[in-house]
Order: sequence, then structure tokens, then C-alpha cells
Amino acid sequence: MDNAHSPTVPAVEDDAAPPGFRLIDFRRDRVEVTFNTHIGNLWAKRGEKGTADEFVMGLRVRDKHCNPAGTLHGGMMMTMADLIGGMGAGTLAGIRKFLPTVSMTFDFVAPARAGDWVEGRCEVVRATRSLLFSHIYLTVGAEKILRASAICKIPSGDGPSFGKAKLVDRPE
Amino acid sequence: MAVPDGFVEVAGLSGFALANGPWYERERDDVMVRGFRAEARHANTLGIVHGGMLAAFLDSAMGMAVWRGLGRRSVSLRLTFDYLLPVRVGDWIEATAEVVASDGTLAQARGRLRGPRHEVLTAAGNFALLKPDRPPRAGQAR
Repeated sequence: MDNAHSPTVPAVEDDAAPPGFRLIDFRRDRVEVTFNTHIGNLWAKRGEKGTADEFVMGLRVRDKHCNPAGTLHGGMMMTMADLIGGMGAGTLAGIRKFLPTVSMTFDFVAPARAGDWVEGRCEVVRATRSLLFSHIYLTVGAEKILRASAICKIPSGDGPSFGKAKLVDRPE
Repeated sequence: MAVPDGFVEVAGLSGFALANGPWYERERDDVMVRGFRAEARHANTLGIVHGGMLAAFLDSAMGMAVWRGLGRRSVSLRLTFDYLLPVRVGDWIEATAEVVASDGTLAQARGRLRGPRHEVLTAAGNFALLKPDRPPRAGQAR
């Protein structure tokens, strides 16, 4: 019997994340395992405001992220880009609430392989009162592997409370 | 969790699809439907199924439509998704897809995802067709 569907808390692996990256703790103290935890680990690095590195998400590609060809599954790339379109672009735009995705376009320009370190960055194209337009790139080293364009809704008021993820230095 | 009549589990999943399965299929009147039951591990803390999960699932159904319609394996080039309404943990979600145009190297497909109450996600995709002599992998699972 494989354990792939088991909803137990996944063990945090040593992803050998590059310096500056901290683990995104989506769980906080909740018991249930949500999608973001289940597919992890996801890492983040915060850089100087206004630079391309202001928000960087990182992923060490594991077998569980791959397709039968042994390359990073498009679904995993889309998941990472979707998260960056909300969390990353929201951070850059100074919006601290849950931003539901309205529309996304993904261009799969190159594969990534198990063991690769993938980074994701975004650019805010425009934030209106109700919509956030962003571009997202996933890269391995200097090579782009995914280009995405996202539109997120900015809910009026506070929106639903989302239990914000926090960055932790090392998994407990 | 219960699976509707006629659906059988997709065999041969690996990696990402296995970790986020099980996924199911039903063929009826020559129409293939893919389905899955949303669980907490597919959702965020609000109980809303993650957009990345929905996109991955509909992508798989569209790739399958290319395989069924053209007999060719493919890789996704460009996918565009419009998110209509959220789906929640416990919902049974179904994907349908069709090839709308193709030549020897490219296929264009449309896909739709429906939940129990409403349409959830629509997609348009461009797929690069792999060489016909490349042997299919077990189960064509994506």
C-alpha cells in the first residue's frame, strides 16, 4: 500500500534551500493538512523593496512534484505561480488579505527536473481598487521555465480571514 | 468518500498526480469525464479548493482529450484558466475536454470543470504534439 494519499503531516525534508530562504509555514498550528502543506515544501525569501528579489518563492523539485516523464508537473508549476500571484503580488502591492484568483495564463517554456531548485518572482502590472494584475516567472538558475499572467480579485473590506502564513527559519 | 456510478480510478498515476489523487474516469456515449472528490488536502484553510489543484486536474483532462482525439501524446504549451466560482471540500468535481483544432504539431483544446452546484473553471489550451512513434507510457496517466 502506498501512503501517497494519506493526510498525515508530511515530514519536512532537507531541501538544501539556498541562503536567505525560509520555510513558508502554511499550517501554523492547525491539525488538518491543506494543499499548500501537502505539496510542500515551499520556501520564501524577502529582499529589498522595489527590487526583483522583494518576494521570491522557492521549491526543491521532488519526485512527488513530477510527471511520468520525470519533469516538474505542470500542475505544480501552476500551483506555485498561482500562489505567487496572490501572496507575492499581494505583498508587493501592500495588500494583506486573501486574493481569489480570477484568471491565469501559463506558458510552459522549459522543463525542470527532480533535484532542481525553482524560484518564482512576480511583478505587479497594476493594482486597482478591486483587481490585481501581475506577471510571474518561474526560473531554474538563469533559465525561465514558466511565464504566467494573473488577475486576482481584491475583496472589499477585510475579505475572509485566511490565517496568514509565516516564514520560519527551520522546520521544527 | 463516495464515487458516482460508473467512475473507475485512473491507474498508473505517479508523482504529482498520485500525491493529489485518486482521480477517476467514466466513459459514456464516447464522452470521457474525469472526476475527483475534493478533500482538505486539496483546499486552503477556508475550505476552498486550491486554484492550482483545479488547474492541474483540468490540464490532465485536456491532455487526455488530445490523446483520445488524436492518438498523440502531448505537452502543454499554454493554458488559460478563468475561475468562475469556488468549490469546497466534499464536492465531487468533474472535468470534460475536447480538441477544437489541430495540425501535425499543435492541438488546441477547451476544458470545463463543474462542481455539484455550478460551473467552476473554464480553460483553453495549446498543446505540442509529440512524435507519433513515441510509445505511450503505461496508462497514459498525466
